[in-house]
Amino acid sequence: MLNLAIDFARRFARNRAALIGLLLVIVVVGVALAAPWLFPRNPLRIVGRPEIWPFVNSRYPLGTDSLGRDIAAMIAYGARTTLLIGLCASLTATLIGITIGATAAYFGGWIDEMLMRFTELFQTIPNLIFVLTIVSILGQKIEYVTVAVGIVTWTPIARLTRAEFMALRDREFVQACRAMGMGNLRIMLGEILPNALPPVIVLSSLVIAGAVLFESAVSFLGLGDPNVSSWGRLIGDGRTLIRTSWYICAVPGLAIMITVLALNLVGDGLNDALNPKLRDR
Amino acid sequence: MSRFSRRDFLITTAGAALASGMAGPALAGLETPKRGGTLIGTWGGFEPQSLFVPPGGGSSPYFTSTKVLERLIRLTVDLKFEPVLAVDIKPSADFKSYTIKLREGVTWHDGNAFTADDVVFNAMQYWKPISAGVSLDALEGAEAADPLTVVLKFKAPVPEFFLKSVLAGKSGLVIPKHIYAGSNIITNPINNAPIGTGPFKVKEWVRGSHVEYLRNEKYWNPGLPYLDRLVIRWWRDPASRAAAFEAGQLDIGTFNPIPMPDIARLTSGGKFIAETKGYSNSAWVTTIEFNQRREIFKKREVRQALMQAIDRQFIADTVFFGRARPSIGAVASSNSIFFTKDVQDYPFDVKKAEKILDAAGFPVKGGSRFKLSLVSAGWFEENIKIGQYVKQAFEDLDITVDLAVPDRATSLKRIYSDYDYDVAISNNSGSVELIPSTTQYYTTDGIVKGAAFRNATGYSNPKLDEIVAKMTVETDEPKRVALAKDFDRLATIEAPLLPMVDLEPVTIVRSDVRNHSATADFMGESWAELWLDR
Repeated sequence: MLNLAIDFARRFARNRAALIGLLLVIVVVGVALAAPWLFPRNPLRIVGRPEIWPFVNSRYPLGTDSLGRDIAAMIAYGARTTLLIGLCASLTATLIGITIGATAAYFGGWIDEMLMRFTELFQTIPNLIFVLTIVSILGQKIEYVTVAVGIVTWTPIARLTRAEFMALRDREFVQACRAMGMGNLRIMLGEILPNALPPVIVLSSLVIAGAVLFESAVSFLGLGDPNVSSWGRLIGDGRTLIRTSWYICAVPGLAIMITVLALNLVGDGLNDALNPKLRDR
Repeated sequence: MSRFSRRDFLITTAGAALASGMAGPALAGLETPKRGGTLIGTWGGFEPQSLFVPPGGGSSPYFTSTKVLERLIRLTVDLKFEPVLAVDIKPSADFKSYTIKLREGVTWHDGNAFTADDVVFNAMQYWKPISAGVSLDALEGAEAADPLTVVLKFKAPVPEFFLKSVLAGKSGLVIPKHIYAGSNIITNPINNAPIGTGPFKVKEWVRGSHVEYLRNEKYWNPGLPYLDRLVIRWWRDPASRAAAFEAGQLDIGTFNPIPMPDIARLTSGGKFIAETKGYSNSAWVTTIEFNQRREIFKKREVRQALMQAIDRQFIADTVFFGRARPSIGAVASSNSIFFTKDVQDYPFDVKKAEKILDAAGFPVKGGSRFKLSLVSAGWFEENIKIGQYVKQAFEDLDITVDLAVPDRATSLKRIYSDYDYDVAISNNSGSVELIPSTTQYYTTDGIVKGAAFRNATGYSNPKLDEIVAKMTVETDEPKRVALAKDFDRLATIEAPLLPMVDLEPVTIVRSDVRNHSATADFMGESWAELWLDR
């Protein structure tokens, strides 16, 4: 087990870009975790004069927004919101995707037909509009945004899982399991899934990055939860000031860019580490 | 007759400019106007559902229809009524009937003559049942005494200022009888290309883009309009309107067309002017409303304490970049007839608010006095910020606040249909006349479930209802003003809802556009007098 982990780490580390990505992700996670200690006050509190530029006043290193709220505090707390939504949405999407993809491929026939048509139905709806619809129906709560993002991003995972399962379901080791009289659920979860998982994990890590972008878009359009700090909302609020105080949009924009880039790099690294043959080819 | 009215117009506008001590663009009326040219205008909102929406339909169709359809009279910036289609409106001694003398030689865009029959049709078939609503409840009948004289009859005395306000207001547009008679006025397809008596004729409406008007060559006021062509174009985003101004694609934009922070940048070069006149008959405010269906807010002290917890100067300065003023009382301070300073004051004082809440039986228990849901209507971008600020202000009193800023449709539903809020932040615009545009937020008959922009708090007080009922039939103007002040004082002490800030809408206009913003509701004016100094 330990050897396996070392092997995995070595393969991951061979990709320098992935290492940088990992480092950035760790920084973002660190800031998110440390937010309550770095900024003990409510981040949405008005603390100073509005529109103080970054690096002017040491009390507000990243400046203040149009209401006089500390941008640094909002970025730190926004990292929590963003990562939480990203992780939970990715988890939701992965769970839905694997369940549907695995069931469709394993049982085949009309079940496969039905589940795939169902998947296509979701694929044909424009993602962002679907998210906005769900949020405006359910309400502006962070939980609902997470669910909405999960609901629109599970389709590629379902298709990938299905393809992996199709390739594996008739292999000898699966047939051996059947011959031994194992139940369907046990074969699916215990035997096929571990073998099908590596590419799915890679895709899930990319879904996190997508979820971050979705959350930002929803908040930018003013449909996010106004009770929590969020990067997208900060950009949306700063939009009207873009000609005079562009940093209000630029700072959270940079944060989103770095996070999404880092998550994508980590995804690439995971791909290398989990599918070593693919890389050597 | 028309010459007289034009001179009258120039005198009043120049007078207004001098009175306000401002050498604004209105003074340009003393120059000799130039004929011709195309003006491109817009407003700080979106395209209307139809160019003319008979029951009202908000500011957008009001803006597009008033270039074509006219009213009997109009209200100037110094709140005097001026003749348009009527040359004279006189009440009888008992104020139960009014005689309207109409202008001679007015024709509709299709060539038919405008007569007393049209006005009778409007009064009984359009104004009373469709556009004016409760305002004309007392109207019993209308008859044409001769082709240019109409007599309106009422069951109860009707104050002169009140009736003239209705006729000069949003609901007083005059539509042609020969086109609408026998049809459903609201759904008549002609509303997409209305026919009126106004200075401009609709040439074409390109949906999603603009509407183009051409000069009415047979306008009753010879020489007017000065423009050959008027185009109203719509943009979806304030920042793109600012860009259109700079690119020379836009000449005038009413009602806050561009982001507030851009105003200083755009006007600093002298090429554009920010004009605040022309809004006195549509005084916009941001209100805070306390739902009376909640036990907590049935206590007057609680409402008053929360009013004191809000720093309204902060909202005016920071959220509106100084383009708003803290409100005083229930009547807007721009209302030069009914406004009074002599009302309960709610200065920003957190300590005092805490004391009042303690005394009212809501001490801090377990870190919180009570929990409330705050709904800030999402139709204006500023309301997002105000919601966040008010949340913080209440949290400073140890009140737990759950804030929501829903989109326009959901906000309307939560505040005015479902009453699903504890405290709401909303907006409304009132005319100079207080009945019903201001009073309907406080009176019992203003509680109409599902009707937007009415009494959504459920507040009901027989004493206040009585004052408003007296105002409805009081024909002596000074007595009426005294009643209005009683209403204001009571409403402000009771505070079921109150304006937090009076907004100061701005018109952005190129400096070579002349003769604008001279009436009490410029956006809904015909724009016949506008001219271009190019």
